[in-house]
Amino acid sequence: MEVKNSKLKVKKFGLGILSNVVSSQEKLHAKFGGIVPEVAARRHIEMMMPVLDCALDGLDFQKDIDAIAVTGGPGLITSLAVGVETAKTLAMALNKPLINVNHIEAHALAGLIPSLAATCELPAFPVICLVVSGGHTQIILIKKIGSYKIVGETLDDAAGEAFDKVAKILGLGYPGGPVISARAAMAVSLHGQPKQSGLKQDCFAAKAARNDELLRLPRPMIGSTDLNFSFSGLKTAVLYKWKELSVGKKGKALETLKSEFAKEFQDAVIDVLVSKTLRATEKYKAKTVMIGGGVSANKLLRERMAESVEKKFNGAVSFISPNMKYCTDNAAMIGFAASFRFQKEQFIDPLKLKADPNWEL
Amino acid sequence: MKFFSKSDKETMKIGAKFAKTLNGGEVVLLVGDLGSGKTTFVKGVADAVGVKKVVNSPTFVIMKVYKTEQMLKRVQHDRPVIKNLVHIDAYRGVDLPELENIGAVEYFGRADSVCFVEWGGFLDKIQSLKFKCQKVVFKNISENGREIEFGK
Repeated sequence: MEVKNSKLKVKKFGLGILSNVVSSQEKLHAKFGGIVPEVAARRHIEMMMPVLDCALDGLDFQKDIDAIAVTGGPGLITSLAVGVETAKTLAMALNKPLINVNHIEAHALAGLIPSLAATCELPAFPVICLVVSGGHTQIILIKKIGSYKIVGETLDDAAGEAFDKVAKILGLGYPGGPVISARAAMAVSLHGQPKQSGLKQDCFAAKAARNDELLRLPRPMIGSTDLNFSFSGLKTAVLYKWKELSVGKKGKALETLKSEFAKEFQDAVIDVLVSKTLRATEKYKAKTVMIGGGVSANKLLRERMAESVEKKFNGAVSFISPNMKYCTDNAAMIGFAASFRFQKEQFIDPLKLKADPNWEL
Repeated sequence: MKFFSKSDKETMKIGAKFAKTLNGGEVVLLVGDLGSGKTTFVKGVADAVGVKKVVNSPTFVIMKVYKTEQMLKRVQHDRPVIKNLVHIDAYRGVDLPELENIGAVEYFGRADSVCFVEWGGFLDKIQSLKFKCQKVVFKNISENGREIEFGK
Protein backbone atom coordinates (compact mmCIF):
# COMPACT_ATOMS: atom_id res chain seq x y z
CA MET A 1 0.00 0.00 0.00
CA GLU A 2 1.46 3.32 -1.03
CA VAL A 3 0.05 6.13 0.92
CA LYS A 4 1.71 9.28 -0.29
CA ASN A 5 -1.46 10.14 -2.04
CA SER A 6 -3.75 7.42 -0.78
CA LYS A 7 -2.72 4.66 -3.05
CA LEU A 8 -3.14 1.07 -2.48
CA LYS A 9 -1.94 -1.96 -4.19
CA VAL A 10 -2.47 -5.61 -4.09
CA LYS A 11 -0.04 -7.71 -5.95
CA LYS A 12 0.67 -11.34 -6.12
CA PHE A 13 4.35 -12.02 -6.44
CA GLY A 14 5.46 -13.15 -9.85
CA LEU A 15 2.18 -12.23 -11.48
CA GLY A 16 2.51 -8.54 -12.10
CA ILE A 17 0.19 -5.77 -11.15
CA LEU A 18 -3.31 -6.90 -10.19
CA SER A 19 -4.56 -3.56 -9.13
CA ASN A 20 -3.09 -0.10 -8.83
CA VAL A 21 -5.56 2.46 -7.61
CA VAL A 22 -4.47 6.08 -7.34
CA SER A 23 -6.48 8.78 -5.69
CA SER A 24 -4.89 12.04 -6.70
CA GLN A 25 -5.00 15.12 -4.55
CA GLU A 26 -3.55 17.38 -7.21
CA LYS A 27 -6.65 19.49 -7.70
CA LEU A 28 -7.18 19.78 -3.99
CA HIS A 29 -3.66 21.08 -3.45
CA ALA A 30 -3.51 23.29 -6.54
CA LYS A 31 -5.03 26.24 -4.75
CA PHE A 32 -2.31 26.12 -2.09
CA GLY A 33 0.50 25.78 -4.63
CA GLY A 34 1.57 22.49 -3.10
CA ILE A 35 0.66 19.74 -0.70
CA VAL A 36 -0.53 20.98 2.67
CA PRO A 37 0.05 18.32 5.32
CA GLU A 38 -3.17 18.72 7.28
CA VAL A 39 -5.30 18.81 4.12
CA ALA A 40 -3.41 15.82 2.72
CA ALA A 41 -3.80 13.72 5.86
CA ARG A 42 -7.52 14.37 6.16
CA ARG A 43 -7.97 13.50 2.52
CA HIS A 44 -6.00 10.29 3.09
CA ILE A 45 -8.35 9.25 5.83
CA GLU A 46 -11.39 10.04 3.71
CA MET A 47 -10.07 8.21 0.68
CA MET A 48 -8.54 5.20 2.38
CA MET A 49 -11.65 3.04 2.53
CA PRO A 50 -12.95 3.81 -0.98
CA VAL A 51 -9.47 3.18 -2.43
CA LEU A 52 -9.12 -0.08 -0.50
CA ASP A 53 -12.56 -1.21 -1.66
CA CYS A 54 -11.72 -0.40 -5.23
CA ALA A 55 -8.31 -2.10 -5.19
CA LEU A 56 -9.54 -5.24 -3.45
CA ASP A 57 -12.65 -5.59 -5.56
CA GLY A 58 -13.04 -9.17 -6.74
CA LEU A 59 -10.03 -10.44 -4.82
CA ASP A 60 -10.01 -13.19 -2.26
CA PHE A 61 -8.27 -11.78 0.82
CA GLN A 62 -6.82 -15.07 1.93
CA LYS A 63 -5.92 -16.49 -1.46
CA ASP A 64 -4.85 -13.46 -3.47
CA ILE A 65 -2.91 -11.50 -0.90
CA ASP A 66 0.46 -12.74 0.26
CA ALA A 67 1.60 -9.70 2.17
CA ILE A 68 0.81 -6.06 2.89
CA ALA A 69 3.37 -3.47 1.82
CA VAL A 70 3.40 0.14 2.90
CA THR A 71 5.53 3.25 2.47
CA GLY A 72 7.27 3.92 5.78
CA GLY A 73 9.03 7.08 4.55
CA PRO A 74 10.34 9.50 3.57
CA GLY A 75 7.45 11.94 3.20
CA LEU A 76 4.96 14.00 5.13
CA ILE A 77 4.55 12.44 8.55
CA THR A 78 0.81 13.04 8.73
CA SER A 79 0.17 11.29 5.42
CA LEU A 80 2.64 8.48 6.10
CA ALA A 81 1.02 7.79 9.46
CA VAL A 82 -2.41 7.24 7.91
CA GLY A 83 -1.01 4.62 5.54
CA VAL A 84 1.23 2.93 8.07
CA GLU A 85 -1.56 2.58 10.63
CA THR A 86 -3.96 1.22 8.00
CA ALA A 87 -1.37 -1.28 6.78
CA LYS A 88 -0.60 -2.43 10.33
CA THR A 89 -4.27 -2.97 11.00
CA LEU A 90 -4.75 -4.91 7.76
CA ALA A 91 -1.71 -7.07 8.42
CA MET A 92 -2.92 -7.96 11.89
CA ALA A 93 -6.54 -8.48 10.88
CA LEU A 94 -5.74 -10.63 7.85
CA ASN A 95 -2.78 -12.27 9.55
CA LYS A 96 -0.46 -11.43 6.67
CA PRO A 97 3.20 -10.42 6.84
CA LEU A 98 3.93 -6.69 6.69
CA ILE A 99 6.64 -5.13 4.51
CA ASN A 100 8.08 -1.66 5.10
CA VAL A 101 9.14 0.06 1.87
CA ASN A 102 11.31 3.11 1.33
CA HIS A 103 9.58 5.52 -1.03
CA ILE A 104 12.82 6.40 -2.84
CA GLU A 105 13.79 2.77 -3.36
CA ALA A 106 10.37 2.21 -4.89
CA HIS A 107 10.85 5.14 -7.29
CA ALA A 108 14.33 3.88 -8.18
CA LEU A 109 13.06 0.41 -9.10
CA ALA A 110 9.87 1.55 -10.86
CA GLY A 111 11.51 1.17 -14.28
CA LEU A 112 11.73 -2.59 -13.72
CA ILE A 113 8.02 -3.17 -13.19
CA PRO A 114 7.05 -5.64 -15.90
CA SER A 115 4.48 -4.31 -18.36
CA LEU A 116 2.78 -7.65 -18.80
CA ALA A 117 2.12 -10.42 -16.37
CA ALA A 118 5.58 -11.86 -16.22
CA THR A 119 8.51 -12.14 -13.93
CA CYS A 120 10.65 -9.08 -13.98
CA GLU A 121 13.95 -9.05 -15.77
CA LEU A 122 16.79 -7.65 -13.74
CA PRO A 123 19.05 -5.05 -15.36
CA ALA A 124 22.80 -5.41 -15.77
CA PHE A 125 24.44 -4.14 -12.58
CA PRO A 126 25.81 -1.80 -11.44
CA VAL A 127 22.94 0.57 -12.15
CA ILE A 128 23.01 4.36 -11.87
CA CYS A 129 19.54 5.63 -11.08
CA LEU A 130 18.45 9.26 -11.09
CA VAL A 131 15.48 9.77 -8.79
CA VAL A 132 13.87 13.15 -9.39
CA SER A 133 10.69 14.26 -7.67
CA GLY A 134 9.17 17.11 -5.73
CA GLY A 135 11.20 16.34 -2.65
CA HIS A 136 14.24 14.50 -3.97
CA THR A 137 16.98 14.75 -6.53
CA GLN A 138 19.41 11.92 -5.99
CA ILE A 139 21.80 9.82 -8.00
CA ILE A 140 21.79 6.33 -6.57
CA LEU A 141 24.34 3.63 -7.24
CA ILE A 142 22.61 0.25 -7.20
CA LYS A 143 25.04 -2.64 -6.98
CA LYS A 144 22.22 -5.13 -6.66
CA ILE A 145 18.61 -5.03 -5.51
CA GLY A 146 18.76 -4.02 -1.86
CA SER A 147 22.19 -2.37 -2.04
CA TYR A 148 21.95 1.37 -2.56
CA LYS A 149 24.38 4.21 -2.20
CA ILE A 150 23.53 7.85 -2.73
CA VAL A 151 26.43 9.24 -4.75
CA GLY A 152 24.94 12.63 -5.55
CA GLU A 153 22.07 14.76 -4.35
CA THR A 154 20.72 18.28 -4.36
CA LEU A 155 22.40 20.72 -2.02
CA ASP A 156 19.29 22.89 -1.82
CA ASP A 157 16.02 22.59 -3.78
CA ALA A 158 14.83 19.37 -5.42
CA ALA A 159 14.25 19.50 -9.19
CA GLY A 160 10.50 19.08 -8.83
CA GLU A 161 10.40 21.79 -6.19
CA ALA A 162 12.27 24.12 -8.57
CA PHE A 163 9.60 23.40 -11.22
CA ASP A 164 6.86 24.24 -8.72
CA LYS A 165 8.51 27.42 -7.48
CA VAL A 166 9.41 28.68 -10.95
CA ALA A 167 5.84 27.99 -12.11
CA LYS A 168 4.72 30.12 -9.21
CA ILE A 169 7.12 32.95 -10.11
CA LEU A 170 5.83 32.88 -13.69
CA GLY A 171 2.22 32.66 -12.51
CA LEU A 172 1.59 29.34 -14.25
CA GLY A 173 -0.08 27.42 -11.41
CA TYR A 174 0.48 24.04 -9.76
CA PRO A 175 1.83 21.39 -10.24
CA GLY A 176 4.80 23.04 -11.90
CA GLY A 177 6.18 20.09 -13.90
CA PRO A 178 3.35 19.57 -16.39
CA VAL A 179 2.59 23.30 -16.85
CA ILE A 180 6.20 24.15 -17.51
CA SER A 181 6.63 21.30 -20.03
CA ALA A 182 3.45 22.32 -21.80
CA ARG A 183 4.55 25.94 -21.94
CA ALA A 184 8.03 24.95 -23.09
CA ALA A 185 6.52 22.98 -25.96
CA MET A 186 4.55 26.10 -26.96
CA ALA A 187 7.77 28.10 -27.03
CA VAL A 188 9.38 25.49 -29.26
CA SER A 189 6.54 25.68 -31.75
CA LEU A 190 6.57 29.47 -31.63
CA HIS A 191 10.16 29.47 -32.75
CA GLY A 192 9.21 27.15 -35.58
CA GLN A 193 11.83 24.66 -34.52
CA PRO A 194 11.71 21.01 -35.42
CA LYS A 195 10.20 18.59 -32.93
CA GLN A 196 12.44 17.69 -30.02
CA SER A 197 12.43 14.00 -30.76
CA GLY A 198 14.31 14.52 -34.00
CA LEU A 199 17.10 16.46 -32.41
CA LYS A 200 20.38 14.98 -31.42
CA GLN A 201 22.22 15.96 -28.28
CA ASP A 202 24.85 18.08 -30.05
CA CYS A 203 22.10 20.19 -31.59
CA PHE A 204 21.01 21.42 -28.19
CA ALA A 205 24.02 23.68 -27.81
CA ALA A 206 23.34 25.20 -31.21
CA LYS A 207 19.68 25.57 -30.38
CA ALA A 208 20.55 27.24 -27.10
CA ALA A 209 22.80 29.66 -28.94
CA ARG A 210 19.88 30.64 -31.16
CA ASN A 211 17.86 31.38 -28.07
CA ASP A 212 17.58 34.93 -27.12
CA GLU A 213 20.79 35.55 -25.18
CA LEU A 214 18.83 37.65 -22.74
CA LEU A 215 16.93 34.62 -21.59
CA ARG A 216 19.92 32.41 -21.05
CA LEU A 217 19.86 30.85 -17.58
CA PRO A 218 22.79 29.28 -15.73
CA ARG A 219 23.35 25.50 -15.61
CA PRO A 220 24.20 25.30 -11.90
CA MET A 221 27.14 23.06 -10.98
CA ILE A 222 27.29 21.52 -14.43
CA GLY A 223 31.05 21.96 -14.44
CA SER A 224 31.70 20.74 -10.90
CA THR A 225 33.41 17.38 -10.65
CA ASP A 226 31.12 16.02 -7.94
CA LEU A 227 27.69 14.53 -8.59
CA ASN A 228 25.64 17.04 -6.61
CA PHE A 229 22.98 19.43 -7.82
CA SER A 230 21.86 22.92 -6.92
CA PHE A 231 18.62 24.39 -8.20
CA SER A 232 18.12 27.24 -5.77
CA GLY A 233 20.31 29.64 -7.74
CA LEU A 234 18.47 28.79 -10.95
CA LYS A 235 15.20 29.72 -9.27
CA THR A 236 16.72 33.05 -8.19
CA ALA A 237 18.05 33.66 -11.70
CA VAL A 238 14.56 33.11 -13.12
CA LEU A 239 13.14 35.49 -10.52
CA TYR A 240 15.46 38.35 -11.49
CA LYS A 241 15.37 37.77 -15.25
CA TRP A 242 11.58 37.57 -15.09
CA LYS A 243 11.31 40.81 -13.09
CA GLU A 244 13.58 42.54 -15.55
CA LEU A 245 12.16 41.25 -18.82
CA SER A 246 8.46 41.16 -17.98
CA VAL A 247 8.28 44.86 -17.14
CA GLY A 248 5.73 46.60 -19.32
CA LYS A 249 4.72 43.38 -21.09
CA LYS A 250 1.05 42.53 -21.29
CA GLY A 251 -1.35 40.09 -22.90
CA LYS A 252 0.04 37.88 -25.61
CA ALA A 253 3.59 39.20 -25.35
CA LEU A 254 3.64 38.36 -21.64
CA GLU A 255 2.31 34.85 -22.27
CA THR A 256 4.91 34.27 -24.98
CA LEU A 257 7.64 35.37 -22.61
CA LYS A 258 6.34 32.96 -19.98
CA SER A 259 6.60 30.11 -22.47
CA GLU A 260 10.13 31.10 -23.42
CA PHE A 261 11.14 31.23 -19.76
CA ALA A 262 9.55 27.82 -19.20
CA LYS A 263 11.51 26.38 -22.10
CA GLU A 264 14.86 27.82 -21.05
CA PHE A 265 14.30 26.78 -17.43
CA GLN A 266 13.36 23.24 -18.42
CA ASP A 267 16.39 23.02 -20.70
CA ALA A 268 18.66 24.20 -17.89
CA VAL A 269 17.33 21.61 -15.43
CA ILE A 270 17.50 18.77 -17.95
CA ASP A 271 21.02 19.71 -19.08
CA VAL A 272 22.25 19.44 -15.51
CA LEU A 273 20.34 16.24 -14.70
CA VAL A 274 21.61 14.49 -17.84
CA SER A 275 25.18 15.68 -17.48
CA LYS A 276 25.51 14.56 -13.84
CA THR A 277 23.88 11.21 -14.53
CA LEU A 278 26.31 10.54 -17.37
CA ARG A 279 29.22 11.54 -15.16
CA ALA A 280 28.06 9.10 -12.47
CA THR A 281 27.64 6.34 -15.04
CA GLU A 282 31.19 6.85 -16.22
CA LYS A 283 32.63 7.10 -12.72
CA TYR A 284 31.01 3.91 -11.44
CA LYS A 285 31.26 2.04 -14.74
CA ALA A 286 27.55 1.40 -14.65
CA LYS A 287 26.01 -0.94 -17.20
CA THR A 288 22.50 0.47 -16.90
CA VAL A 289 21.06 3.93 -16.40
CA MET A 290 17.60 4.27 -14.90
CA ILE A 291 15.38 7.18 -13.95
CA GLY A 292 12.42 7.42 -11.60
CA GLY A 293 10.23 9.82 -9.64
CA GLY A 294 7.62 12.34 -10.70
CA VAL A 295 9.99 14.44 -12.82
CA SER A 296 10.96 11.33 -14.83
CA ALA A 297 7.53 11.68 -16.46
CA ASN A 298 8.98 14.71 -18.26
CA LYS A 299 9.10 13.61 -21.90
CA LEU A 300 12.03 15.78 -22.83
CA LEU A 301 14.09 14.47 -19.93
CA ARG A 302 13.39 10.88 -21.00
CA GLU A 303 14.27 11.60 -24.61
CA ARG A 304 17.44 13.50 -23.89
CA MET A 305 18.63 11.00 -21.32
CA ALA A 306 18.05 8.11 -23.74
CA GLU A 307 19.83 9.91 -26.59
CA SER A 308 22.74 11.01 -24.42
CA VAL A 309 23.32 7.58 -22.92
CA GLU A 310 23.23 6.02 -26.36
CA LYS A 311 25.56 8.60 -27.83
CA LYS A 312 28.10 8.60 -25.02
CA PHE A 313 28.34 4.86 -24.46
CA ASN A 314 27.56 3.58 -27.95
CA GLY A 315 25.09 0.99 -26.80
CA ALA A 316 27.34 -0.39 -24.04
CA VAL A 317 25.01 1.05 -21.41
CA SER A 318 21.28 0.49 -21.56
CA PHE A 319 18.68 2.98 -20.44
CA ILE A 320 15.44 2.16 -18.63
CA SER A 321 12.65 4.59 -17.82
CA PRO A 322 9.45 3.67 -16.03
CA ASN A 323 6.08 3.41 -17.70
CA MET A 324 4.47 6.86 -17.36
CA LYS A 325 1.95 5.62 -14.83
CA TYR A 326 4.73 4.47 -12.50
CA CYS A 327 6.61 7.82 -12.48
CA THR A 328 4.45 9.82 -10.12
CA ASP A 329 3.55 8.31 -6.76
CA ASN A 330 1.68 5.05 -7.12
CA ALA A 331 1.05 1.86 -5.23
CA ALA A 332 2.34 -0.58 -7.83
CA MET A 333 5.91 0.57 -7.30
CA ILE A 334 5.59 0.01 -3.55
CA GLY A 335 4.29 -3.50 -4.08
CA PHE A 336 7.00 -4.13 -6.64
CA ALA A 337 9.83 -3.01 -4.34
CA ALA A 338 8.22 -5.07 -1.59
CA SER A 339 8.23 -8.20 -3.74
CA PHE A 340 12.02 -8.44 -3.42
CA ARG A 341 11.74 -8.25 0.35
CA PHE A 342 8.96 -10.80 0.24
CA GLN A 343 11.27 -13.27 -1.49
CA LYS A 344 13.80 -12.79 1.28
CA GLU A 345 11.08 -12.81 3.93
CA GLN A 346 12.14 -9.39 5.19
CA PHE A 347 9.04 -8.65 7.19
CA ILE A 348 8.42 -6.19 10.00
CA ASP A 349 6.45 -6.67 13.18
CA PRO A 350 3.30 -4.50 12.90
CA LEU A 351 3.74 -3.41 16.49
CA LYS A 352 7.21 -2.09 15.73
CA LEU A 353 6.54 -0.24 12.47
CA LYS A 354 6.58 3.54 12.69
CA ALA A 355 6.46 6.06 9.87
CA ASP A 356 9.79 7.83 9.43
CA PRO A 357 9.50 11.12 7.52
CA ASN A 358 13.29 11.40 7.12
CA TRP A 359 14.07 7.75 6.27
CA GLU A 360 17.28 7.69 4.26
CA LEU A 361 17.94 4.97 1.77
CA MET B 1 22.75 43.96 13.18
CA LYS B 2 22.61 44.35 9.44
CA PHE B 3 24.76 42.34 7.09
CA PHE B 4 25.21 42.52 3.38
CA SER B 5 25.96 39.38 1.41
CA LYS B 6 27.21 39.19 -2.14
CA SER B 7 27.22 35.41 -2.51
CA ASP B 8 25.96 32.10 -1.10
CA LYS B 9 29.29 31.70 0.66
CA GLU B 10 28.90 35.02 2.42
CA THR B 11 25.32 34.20 3.39
CA MET B 12 26.59 30.97 4.96
CA LYS B 13 29.25 32.89 6.85
CA ILE B 14 26.59 35.21 8.23
CA GLY B 15 24.64 32.11 9.27
CA ALA B 16 27.73 30.80 11.05
CA LYS B 17 28.09 34.14 12.81
CA PHE B 18 24.48 33.93 13.91
CA ALA B 19 25.08 30.38 15.18
CA LYS B 20 27.49 31.78 17.77
CA THR B 21 24.58 33.55 19.45
CA LEU B 22 22.68 30.28 19.94
CA ASN B 23 22.39 28.66 23.35
CA GLY B 24 19.68 26.09 22.63
CA GLY B 25 15.94 26.60 22.83
CA GLU B 26 15.79 29.31 20.18
CA VAL B 27 13.00 29.50 17.63
CA VAL B 28 14.21 31.55 14.70
CA LEU B 29 11.77 32.83 12.12
CA LEU B 30 13.29 33.41 8.70
CA VAL B 31 11.42 36.08 6.82
CA GLY B 32 12.05 36.94 3.17
CA ASP B 33 11.01 36.25 -0.42
CA LEU B 34 11.73 33.25 -2.62
CA GLY B 35 15.44 33.11 -3.33
CA SER B 36 16.49 35.57 -0.64
CA GLY B 37 18.90 33.16 1.07
CA LYS B 38 16.93 31.54 3.92
CA THR B 39 17.98 27.95 3.24
CA THR B 40 21.56 29.04 2.52
CA PHE B 41 21.64 30.85 5.87
CA VAL B 42 20.51 27.66 7.67
CA LYS B 43 23.24 25.72 5.85
CA GLY B 44 25.75 28.13 7.39
CA VAL B 45 24.24 27.65 10.85
CA ALA B 46 24.26 23.87 10.39
CA ASP B 47 27.94 23.84 9.48
CA ALA B 48 28.74 25.92 12.53
CA VAL B 49 26.84 23.72 14.99
CA GLY B 50 28.35 20.55 13.60
CA VAL B 51 25.72 19.06 11.30
CA LYS B 52 27.56 16.74 8.94
CA LYS B 53 24.69 15.84 6.63
CA VAL B 54 23.69 17.85 3.57
CA VAL B 55 21.12 20.43 4.60
CA ASN B 56 18.70 20.98 1.72
CA SER B 57 15.28 22.49 1.26
CA PRO B 58 12.59 21.14 3.62
CA THR B 59 9.74 22.48 1.44
CA PHE B 60 8.55 19.00 0.52
CA VAL B 61 8.61 17.26 3.90
CA ILE B 62 7.97 20.51 5.88
CA MET B 63 10.43 19.54 8.61
CA LYS B 64 13.89 18.04 8.70
CA VAL B 65 15.68 17.23 11.93
CA TYR B 66 19.47 17.06 11.87
CA LYS B 67 21.62 15.65 14.65
CA THR B 68 24.62 17.79 15.47
CA GLU B 69 28.04 16.54 16.34
CA GLN B 70 28.62 19.25 18.90
CA MET B 71 31.97 20.53 19.86
CA LEU B 72 32.87 19.22 23.31
CA LYS B 73 34.05 22.69 24.26
CA ARG B 74 30.49 23.70 24.85
CA VAL B 75 30.03 21.14 27.58
CA GLN B 76 33.13 22.37 29.35
CA HIS B 77 31.80 25.87 29.31
CA ASP B 78 28.77 24.61 31.14
CA ARG B 79 26.45 25.60 28.38
CA PRO B 80 23.62 23.45 27.17
CA VAL B 81 24.53 21.27 24.24
CA ILE B 82 22.58 21.71 21.03
CA LYS B 83 21.70 18.23 19.82
CA ASN B 84 19.14 18.95 17.12
CA LEU B 85 18.94 21.47 14.36
CA VAL B 86 15.30 21.57 13.28
CA HIS B 87 14.72 23.05 9.83
CA ILE B 88 11.09 23.84 9.05
CA ASP B 89 9.49 25.35 5.95
CA ALA B 90 6.01 26.84 6.11
CA TYR B 91 6.12 27.87 2.44
CA ARG B 92 3.00 25.94 1.51
CA GLY B 93 0.73 27.81 3.85
CA VAL B 94 1.45 25.68 6.89
CA ASP B 95 -0.11 27.10 10.08
CA LEU B 96 0.38 26.51 13.80
CA PRO B 97 -2.01 23.53 14.16
CA GLU B 98 -0.15 21.83 11.31
CA LEU B 99 3.18 22.45 12.96
CA GLU B 100 1.70 20.80 16.04
CA ASN B 101 0.49 17.86 13.95
CA ILE B 102 3.84 17.09 12.41
CA GLY B 103 5.52 17.29 15.80
CA ALA B 104 7.46 20.47 15.07
CA VAL B 105 6.13 22.38 18.04
CA GLU B 106 7.56 19.76 20.38
CA TYR B 107 11.01 20.97 19.43
CA PHE B 108 10.21 24.64 20.02
CA GLY B 109 11.93 25.95 23.12
CA ARG B 110 13.68 22.67 23.89
CA ALA B 111 17.07 23.39 25.44
CA ASP B 112 18.82 20.79 23.30
CA SER B 113 17.38 22.04 20.02
CA VAL B 114 17.39 25.10 17.82
CA CYS B 115 14.56 25.60 15.34
CA PHE B 116 14.61 27.59 12.12
CA VAL B 117 11.27 28.27 10.47
CA GLU B 118 11.31 29.51 6.87
CA TRP B 119 8.23 31.54 5.99
CA GLY B 120 7.56 31.51 9.74
CA GLY B 121 6.73 35.21 10.14
CA PHE B 122 3.13 34.36 11.06
CA LEU B 123 4.26 32.76 14.35
CA ASP B 124 5.39 36.15 15.56
CA LYS B 125 1.82 37.40 15.56
CA ILE B 126 0.46 34.56 17.69
CA GLN B 127 0.22 35.78 21.28
CA SER B 128 -0.46 32.46 23.01
CA LEU B 129 2.91 30.88 22.19
CA LYS B 130 4.86 29.52 25.13
CA PHE B 131 8.19 30.15 23.46
CA LYS B 132 9.96 33.26 22.30
CA CYS B 133 10.71 33.79 18.66
CA GLN B 134 13.40 35.85 17.08
CA LYS B 135 13.47 37.03 13.53
CA VAL B 136 16.02 37.10 10.77
CA VAL B 137 14.91 39.25 7.87
CA PHE B 138 16.21 38.68 4.32
CA LYS B 139 15.95 41.23 1.56
CA ASN B 140 16.76 40.82 -2.11
CA ILE B 141 18.84 43.81 -3.10
CA SER B 142 20.09 42.59 -6.46
CA GLU B 143 20.55 39.23 -8.20
CA ASN B 144 23.41 38.31 -5.88
CA GLY B 145 23.09 40.97 -3.19
CA ARG B 146 21.16 40.20 0.01
CA GLU B 147 20.58 42.21 3.13
CA ILE B 148 20.29 40.06 6.25
CA GLU B 149 19.24 41.54 9.55
CA PHE B 150 18.93 40.03 13.04
CA GLY B 151 19.14 40.92 16.70
CA LYS B 152 16.95 43.98 16.32
